[in-house]
Amino acid sequence: MAPTTVNVAVGALFALALLGSAFDRRSVLVVAVAAAVPDLDAVLGLAVPGATNAAFHTLLLPGAVFVALYWDTRYRDPDRSWLRRRWGWDGVRVAWVALAAYAVAGIGLDLFGPGGVNLLYPVHDRFYAVVGRLLLSTHEGVILTFVERGEGLLWLSSPGTTANHHVETWVNPTPGPGLETGIERRLTIVESGWQLTVVGAAVAAVAVRFHLSGTAGER
Amino acid sequence: MPSTTVHAGFALLLAAGLWRGVLDRRVVAVLLALVAFPEIDSAAGLWLDGAHRALLHNLTLPLLAGLWLYWDTRYRDSERSWLRGRWGQRGVTVAWVALFVHVFAHALLDYAHLEGINAFYPVYDRFLRLEGELALSTTDGIVQTFVDVDVGADGGEVTDVGATGTTADTHVANPVEPSDTVEEPDEPVERLFPVAESGWQLFLVLAGPFVLVARRFQKRRDEA
Repeated sequence: MAPTTVNVAVGALFALALLGSAFDRRSVLVVAVAAAVPDLDAVLGLAVPGATNAAFHTLLLPGAVFVALYWDTRYRDPDRSWLRRRWGWDGVRVAWVALAAYAVAGIGLDLFGPGGVNLLYPVHDRFYAVVGRLLLSTHEGVILTFVERGEGLLWLSSPGTTANHHVETWVNPTPGPGLETGIERRLTIVESGWQLTVVGAAVAAVAVRFHLSGTAGER
Repeated sequence: MPSTTVHAGFALLLAAGLWRGVLDRRVVAVLLALVAFPEIDSAAGLWLDGAHRALLHNLTLPLLAGLWLYWDTRYRDSERSWLRGRWGQRGVTVAWVALFVHVFAHALLDYAHLEGINAFYPVYDRFLRLEGELALSTTDGIVQTFVDVDVGADGGEVTDVGATGTTADTHVANPVEPSDTVEEPDEPVERLFPVAESGWQLFLVLAGPFVLVARRFQKRRDEA
């Protein structure tokens, strides 16, 4: 899976792009943290076998939050909406953007890497990964290898199930639950050049936006 | 290069992050055109050896452009600014966003791919590539392999920042010029136009449009 740094960076970019007038220090922080939360299932993996990239990386969780949010902020009478009464317009916006960051920057980014994500975890136990390439060739036409008909439910390549696929993290580097001692733990911050570029771009963009809103506030 | 679609996707994500208010179609079109523009140096490679990833893929141009932009829009008396006079405040914002997006979504993204970019091209002809990892390990401490400092054969320090060659000996494959062979091939060469070569590239391609569509669905505060 992509290092949490990269999840947070993409989450922060989503925050800048989508928060609109709810943009401030606190709301950006909330959204960026939401993008990091799925990776906490590595801790759960110490107790539950194969929970890394499964327990909080399932789409059922953001799906349930989506239904709740939709009901509270859209379907219900606006005056009775709990979120709106408690936190106002900003709270509603931050909640929606945080949900998007959780699902797309937190889960989605990990899905598009070789480690894969257990998309429908407790219901359908199988890791899926979007890996491959899409090119147009003058000789062979369209080459598309992202989609493949495997043994799984979805037409994506699958590295396995919670029983036989383990995603290594610094919290739980070895397959299976339990806290081992005396082994190397490696916390990856960025694992390749493009990730460094994405993190750098996010840091620069956040700095620019705060600088601009700071100078606008002085005037 | 990560293909132009990847640059475009990431560029849209960054532009949406920097742009406040309504990001209309005209601005999006201008930004996309500016992000795609440097790729024409692959066509220049037909006449000028090693021009692709050098002529327009460098950091010298954005640096000069940035200095000029700063001089014209910030330093100079704002009534005399050429850009502001010609296109108004909106033009100034577009120019700054385009510069940011070009540096991060185009130049630096290519910096991390294949043979990299010729970072300081006309001044110092050397292709550089960003590759490595940064990690904290319980046994090795901080591991950083982006810049390698080594002891050379003569005992001096050798720093490897990922240099891959010069315009004379480096060719970055692209659809216009698939290889650096000069002689006429017997059969048509296969030209590949990549859209996304791996999962993360597809993610970036899709992330930009996702953000733009999401912004369309959002209600503005005054409408709520």
